[in-house]
Order: sequence, then C-alpha cells, then structure tokens
Amino acid sequence: MLRKIWSRRKILAFLAVMGPGIITANVDNDANGIAIYSIAGASFGYKLLWVLLLTTVALIVVQEMTARMGTVTGKGLSDLIREQFGVRATVFAMSTLLITNWANTVGDFAGIAGSLEIFGVSRYLSIPIAAVLIWLLVLRGRYHQVERAFLLASLMYITYIISAILAKPPWKHVFQEMLTPTFETNPAYLTMIIAVIGTTIAPWMQFYQQSSVVDKGLTTRDYPYARADTILGVLTTQVVAFFIIVACAATLFVEGISIQTAEDAAKALAPLAGRYASWLFAIGLLNAALFSVAIIPLSTAYSLCEAFGWEAGLDRTFKEAPVFYGLYTGMVATGAVVILIPGLSLIPVMVLSQALNGILLPVILVYMLRLTNNRRLMGNYTNSPLFNLITMVTVFMVGLSALLLVGISLVGMVKAAVVPIGLGNR
Amino acid sequence: MVFISQVVGKLVSDATGAVIGPVADLAAKQEDQALRLSGILLRGDQLRVGIIPAEAVGEISPIGISLSVPRTSLTTRPLQPDEVLLVEELLDKQVVDIDGLKVVKVNDLQLARANGTWQLVAVDVGLRGLLRRLGLEAPVTAILERLGRPLQEWLIPWQMVAALSGPPTALKLRVSRENLRKIHPADLAEIVEDLGREAQLEVMANLDDAVAADVLEETEPEVRASILKSLSPDRAADILEEMAPDEAADLIATLPEETAATLIAQMDQEKAATVRKLLQYPEDTAAGKMTPEYIALPEWFTAEDTIRYLREHAPPAEYLYYLYVTDAEGRLVGVLSLRTLITANPETPLRNLMDTEVIYLRDTDSADAAAGALAKYDLLAIPVVDAEGKLLGIVTIDDVMEILLEKYLPRLPARFHRIRRR
Repeated sequence: MLRKIWSRRKILAFLAVMGPGIITANVDNDANGIAIYSIAGASFGYKLLWVLLLTTVALIVVQEMTARMGTVTGKGLSDLIREQFGVRATVFAMSTLLITNWANTVGDFAGIAGSLEIFGVSRYLSIPIAAVLIWLLVLRGRYHQVERAFLLASLMYITYIISAILAKPPWKHVFQEMLTPTFETNPAYLTMIIAVIGTTIAPWMQFYQQSSVVDKGLTTRDYPYARADTILGVLTTQVVAFFIIVACAATLFVEGISIQTAEDAAKALAPLAGRYASWLFAIGLLNAALFSVAIIPLSTAYSLCEAFGWEAGLDRTFKEAPVFYGLYTGMVATGAVVILIPGLSLIPVMVLSQALNGILLPVILVYMLRLTNNRRLMGNYTNSPLFNLITMVTVFMVGLSALLLVGISLVGMVKAAVVPIGLGNR
Repeated sequence: MVFISQVVGKLVSDATGAVIGPVADLAAKQEDQALRLSGILLRGDQLRVGIIPAEAVGEISPIGISLSVPRTSLTTRPLQPDEVLLVEELLDKQVVDIDGLKVVKVNDLQLARANGTWQLVAVDVGLRGLLRRLGLEAPVTAILERLGRPLQEWLIPWQMVAALSGPPTALKLRVSRENLRKIHPADLAEIVEDLGREAQLEVMANLDDAVAADVLEETEPEVRASILKSLSPDRAADILEEMAPDEAADLIATLPEETAATLIAQMDQEKAATVRKLLQYPEDTAAGKMTPEYIALPEWFTAEDTIRYLREHAPPAEYLYYLYVTDAEGRLVGVLSLRTLITANPETPLRNLMDTEVIYLRDTDSADAAAGALAKYDLLAIPVVDAEGKLLGIVTIDDVMEILLEKYLPRLPARFHRIRRR
C-alpha cells in the first residue's frame, strides 16, 4: 500500500481519513512514556533500542486490528466486548481501564507540573490553569477543531529529534546497538524492558483508536487508508521514542547521571547539551502531557458509557449524559488534585498503573483476537495467521512482563519495608 | 415474572423431577404484537437441534424450569428459522427505545406468563439489570434502600422497543419497520448516529426513500457519509433524489470523489444536473447555501395568471415566502408578497404590483452575509443573483438557522417535546 506511488486523489483520500491512528500513536508518547524512555536512555544507554523494533511490530499489528474492527463493524471496542462477552467481562475490562487511565492522567498532570517548573512556574498555578483550560477546550470546542489542534500538537514531538541531534550521539554505534539485542538478567534491566513494552502498548489506545475510526464514519472502503494512518502513526511515535532514548543516552548515560523522572532529564540536559536542548525537552514534555490529559479522560468516559449503554457524546447536554460528563470531569479534577498534595510520591501510582496495564492488556488482546477472528462479525476481514501469531506472542510477552513487574516490585517493597527496622542485610 | 438472567444456567427438570440439563438460551417467536417463548436450548447443544418446545414447559422461576411432561414423552426439535434466541440476539445488544427516543443497551429481559404462554414483556436497561447480571442486585439495593435512595427499575415494554443489531430476522423486520415509523425523522437521525453500522443500514432499509432522505439530512456529516458509502449506489441515489437539491449537494460534497461521481451518475438526470450546478459554488458562500428551487414569474403575468400558476404547481411552502419577478433575460427585477398578490385586481400585471427595491445577495457573498441580511431586514428568504443580475436561487431562513446553530449552539437538547400517536 505504502510502496505504491500515491496519486493525487489517493493522497486526498488519505488526508480525509488520517487522524485516528496518528493521534492515538502520538498520545502514546505521553508524559509517562517520555519518562520511561528518558530513564531507559539515562540508565542503559543505547542498550534498549532493540526493544523498540519489537514493540513497533507489535503495536502496528494491535492497532491495525482495532482500525479494521472499527471500519468493518462501525462499533467501538467496548461495545463489541459487551456484545460478545457479556457483562462480567465488560465490568472487569472497564474497571481496570478506568484505574489505569486515571493513573495515566495523574502521570500526565505530573508531566505538566514538572515541565513548567523548569520554566519557574509553580505547580499550584500551572495545574489548576491547565486542568480548567483542557476541560473547557474539550467541552466547548468542536470535534474537528480539537482534532486539528491535536494533529498540530503532534508536530511538537520534533523537539525531541532536535534535542537528540544537539546532543551529538555517535550515530554508527547507536544503530549497531539497535540491531543487536542485548540481554541482561539483572532486575533493573528487566524492569526497564517491561516498562518500555508497557508504556508503548497501552489498553486505552485500542479503545480510543477504534472509537475515533467509528466517529469519523470510516467504512471498509476507507480501510486501506485507515491502515496506512495506523502504520504512519506508530512509526512516527516510535521514531520519537528512539530519539528520546538517544538524547538521554548520549548525555546523561555517558556522564553517569541517573534520573527518576522526565523533568530530571530535561534539567540534567542543560549543562550537557545546552539550555536550548533542555528547554526543547521540557516543551516536548509539556505538549505531550497536555495532549494526553485532554484525550485519555475523554476516551475513558466514551468507552465506559458505550459499554454500559449510557448516553455519551460532546453533542449531548450535561443533563442528558450526566455519567459521561461526570466521568470526564471527575478524572480531570481528581487527577489534578492528586498532583497538588504536598509530599505525595507518584512512584507507587505509576507502578500500580504499569502493573494493571500489564494485566489488562493481555485480556484485551485475547478479546481482540477472538473478535477479529469471528467471521460473523468481520466477514472477509478476519485476521491472517501471521497477525494471530504476532498478537499471541505479544499477549505472552506482556503477560509475562506484568507478572515479572509485580514480582520485582513486591520484592522491592519487602526490602524497603524490612531495611528500616534493621532486619535487612548490612 | 422472571428475568432471563435468573433462568440461564439453572436446571431444567421434567415432571418426575429428573434433571435434564442447564438452560443455555430461550427461543422465542413473534406472534401478533407479542414475542412468545417457543422453546428452551440446553447447554452443550451447539448444533441447536434439541430445542425443548414451549408446550412442555410448566413453571419458569429463578429456581429453574420444570416441565409438565416426563422426559420419556418429550420430543425435541431443531431451532426454526423464524425463532430468535433471546440471550444471543438481544442481551447486551443495542436497541432503540421508541418512547424515550434513545439508543440503550439491554441489560436483562423480563418474561411473564399471559394467557397460558410465556412471553417477553420488557427489556431492562437500568443499573438494576446490570447488578442482577453481576449477582449484586440484592446487596446493593438493600444498601441503597437503607440510605433512603431506593434503586429504581428501568424497564421498557417490549412494544416500545426496536431491535436492530444482529442478523436480520423476520421478527425484526416486521416489528422494527412499524416501530420506526412512529419516530420523527429528525429524532430518528439522532438515534441513527448512536447505532452500529449494521443497525444503521437496517434502519435505512426499513424506511421509504423520502423518510430516509429526511433522516439523512439531519444526521452528522460523518455518519451520513458512512451510510451512503455502505448503501448500494442505486438506493443511495434514490434517497439523494428525494432530498432538497441544496442538501443533496452539501452531502455529496462531503463524500470522496469516486463515491460522489458514482452516485451522481446513478441519479435522475434533471436532479443530477441541478446538484452538479450547486456543487460548483464554494460551500461557505451564499450560492453554496441556496436552494435552486424558487418561484420566478415573468413581469407581464397578471395577478390572475400568477394565482393560476401557483395553484397548478403547488410549490412547497418555503418557496412561497416571496414571489420573485424576472425580465425576459432572467434578471431579477422585483418581488411581491402573497398578500399583495391576493388583494390585487386580477388584471393588473406584476410589473405594476411588484416592489422594485429588492434586497439580494451576490453568489460570491459569504454565507454569513446571507444570515446577516435575513436577520437585518427581517426576511424569510433572500434571492441570490450572479454578476449579470440573473436569479440563481434563494437562501431561506431554515438554511441560515443551520449556519447559525452550527456556529453558536453546538449543543442542543437531543430531544424535544412532541405529541405522538401511540
């Protein structure tokens, strides 16, 4: 599809369909994603780049399935799960989705606070303003304006590419590392791989992209373009992830600076790659965080209402769709408030969210496999054996990762609890 | 009365009390206005050949189903084509609430015995149904009752439901068609937006071309484009022909070039020509919003000629707000109201009756200018002319309302009050 030279008409048709895939993939690089990639680069240099190649393939396959289901059935994913697997499965999927998405929202508010603090803006000022602005933008804006704003915001990710280039990495070495998988058995390295996989393939993405495809009224006629949109989106987001890792590896890793968050990375970049690299990194983080805070709560509200048949949609009044607006507003408000609690560490929230992501994702992927292989539902658009194989491998990897992550963090927690009372190893 | 969620999975036992097996699903058949229970499908019967006929059913309760005959005299049969399986085809699916005018999800199904047969009486679309499915109805309702906020049942009578998703069956076709007719096209448009594609196409299949056109005119551009792309070009063209030409042109403008070309080619030649002409004008201009259907009368017509002409052609109301007068070249020269026409001496020619001070728009004026002019001069319609002064069409107040609503009031209540025939 992409190999053929596109005629003008085809390009126009593509532009009309473009959006769901690119937007979803770009929200994927939210503040949490940037944090993980930064830490990966700072802690392990270029050693984790090979993981990106695997997650790219997996993400393309998974997101392509949702785009296909959306164009063929004209229904959202939570709708299909409810219709095919019943209430219990839906309640499980929706409650975990709600929790992971809430944790993601909290992480993104943290990103807003952190990035603006680099420019000297207090979080007690930035967070309330950002929360209200986003809430208003989404509620008062028209869908097309909002979508266009989001597409433009995707361009902001170029800041990371510039940041990486400013850091002058040894490119030959970088690509060698990317193509040679290295495997270490120490827990830190394993946790990092798990985190990278978990942040790249997140359950909300399938729900969000499929709903957007349906909202855009795309049918099987648009399917080739929707597929191209998905592939393009995934490729751009993975390229950005690549550059974030490279930027941090070329500077922080080389200098041996360890970081905890994305804003640490932005701050640490200043003396090494110049103030502009640091600013660009912070602006990229701010944009990513804003972008996701706008989309993730909204997508959650849509998915839940769709699953349980509650009225939803920005064209409804508050009175007609109270649950929809309540969920959206509640997520934005509580997410913002949590960030403002002094002395609260976000790391447990992040670990919880990662673990839940890892538990929910294999389940969602299994549902998706069953749906996309259902001939009654998909007609001639069922999965190819290769797709099934790649998805099953992904399910296995993600499930294993989640178990490992839970194991590692339990061990960590036990150690942390044991050390202070003097029972730990001296 | 019993809910299907309380029955599925429970045991079926015969008249002697011997257990036959757990219930998988209930089969039902549409008879007159009712959906009557026609059989029981047991778990493990993948091929659906061992349906226990409803005649053998004694009692249905949350404890289980007891048959009125002993197992030995039971004759099972395969599922019939005119039967529906309630769990498989209705539970968890979208249905349309005809009375409340919205799309809802079926959480549970209520069965009751009437005149000796069991039938589906209502669909449960409330929280209570959801909780019942999860086995949480009793504790949650008890807690809420203690808090003084009892949980209400939300049941919709089966007669007020249109089931649309899933494979089309004889049942759905008959019931849906009748039920959908009760809904105003503008309300139906809102409902269609909330349905899955299969159900959208089924609604369209159940409507006459004219009603389908009214429905499509009111739906969101994305939804109607997706519907038109999925309908057969024949049927899509038939629906487009029924639409006002300006609406049809607006709609076609939102479609991909290829689809648009196919559809125009399928349309009746005269309509297609009008639509093609309208498509030349940019959408945000006065010409882009205008209707090419209007009343233009030659200036030498007398009042009597005019009344006879109107009586013969009986144009739709929105074209009758004002009567425009043109010269031999088709240039706009004057306007007159119906009032002037009716009160005039029958022999007077229009050139002596008409008002020559006509407020008009150029085809290149913006759509906003059209809205402004109508509001400023308190008009119901305004003529649009080209560079030579030739009359091209009119912009009416309802076209302008749409521009304004889109701009300033994106959120409206989805449903308004309406007196409806039951």
